Amino acid sequence: MHIPDGLLSPQTFIPAFAIAAPAWWWASRRARRQLDDALLPRLAVFTAFAFLLSTLMLPLPGGTSGHALGLALLTLCFGVPLAFLAYTLVLVLQALTLGAGGLTALPVNALCMGLVGALVVAGVYRGLGGLHAATAVVLATWLSVMLSATLVALVLGVQPLIARDADGAPLFFPFGPAVTLPAILLPHAVLATAEAALTLLVWRHARRRQWLARVA
Amino acid sequence: MKPNRHSLALLGWAAAVVTSTLVHEPAVLAAALLGVLLLSGRGRWALATRTLKAVAAVVLLISLGYVGMGWLGGTLDTAVLLRLNLRLLLIAMLTAWMLRDVPLITALSGLPSAQRWLVIVQAQVALFRRLAEDYRLARRSRSTVAPTLRQRYLGAGSLTLAALDKAVHNAETVTQAMRARGALDD
Repeated sequence: MHIPDGLLSPQTFIPAFAIAAPAWWWASRRARRQLDDALLPRLAVFTAFAFLLSTLMLPLPGGTSGHALGLALLTLCFGVPLAFLAYTLVLVLQALTLGAGGLTALPVNALCMGLVGALVVAGVYRGLGGLHAATAVVLATWLSVMLSATLVALVLGVQPLIARDADGAPLFFPFGPAVTLPAILLPHAVLATAEAALTLLVWRHARRRQWLARVA
Repeated sequence: MKPNRHSLALLGWAAAVVTSTLVHEPAVLAAALLGVLLLSGRGRWALATRTLKAVAAVVLLISLGYVGMGWLGGTLDTAVLLRLNLRLLLIAMLTAWMLRDVPLITALSGLPSAQRWLVIVQAQVALFRRLAEDYRLARRSRSTVAPTLRQRYLGAGSLTLAALDKAVHNAETVTQAMRARGALDD
């Protein structure tokens, strides 16, 4: 669902960098304490897996694209800080090796998907995991994708309101939230269901293999 | 960070992308696009074709949506359409140029941690792709008819889990080898 370069105004991406920078710093400090020789190879594998899932993109009318994230898996296996960092790396790799997403969109994409998505997964799993773990995984994944998609749609939708020329014409993305919300959320409701099924499949396997070293 | 020619090119790309978001005049954006096309040297048309393929879907969807809504609402502004298309094309062309001419591993030579992560993840991506290709060829060589949709889903599920097992095993071996050689000691 990430936003490509050229659609976001500096009024959006500069504050987003200001918010993302301390979040990356916090996550790096936590990651340094958490990473060891057992966790590092698994993190690399799941980051590569998330990268591959994110490369299967379908352009959507709302100015973004639809694809699986792999973020819920990262969060369930490694916790919020490592998942946020790993997903940021996925976004950087996509920008630098495929030209997807981009530099100016990086902080918005990282915050909406990497941080908020991971926090939702961790919160829902912590809240419901004790009742029924599999249901909690499915719900956590579905809700995290939908909330991230809602945030992306809103960030795009406010562009014509905050970046206009003297005549009131939009300087960047031209559609408001009335267009972006349904255009992004409707396809993502289906994509999120598919991602929840995939996450459940891999999460069960990871639990059998005892890879869930840092369950959210 | 110890800058080399490729590090500077990477920084130049980043600066150019950010600068292109500060320019709103379609004529200036068009001139910049033409400049990038001329400066990108031999293979510029292949680069332009790759750029168009990369952004065509996004640009067409947004542009057609804008034209349709503007036409229905009587608010169609060609300057908005031009600006949007030119900016997206310019940034995509700059990125395609950078991807073609800047070897990322060399460009990140001043940042050993970033370089190491890039290598590790790229190696895992390559491994996943090779496993998927092996599986596809193995399935094709053993089947005389095309698999049904259900078989495809079941096969994809099995492949995902098998690929994860192999990739984790491979990554653990590589990490132990790197640790044994002192590559992770910093």
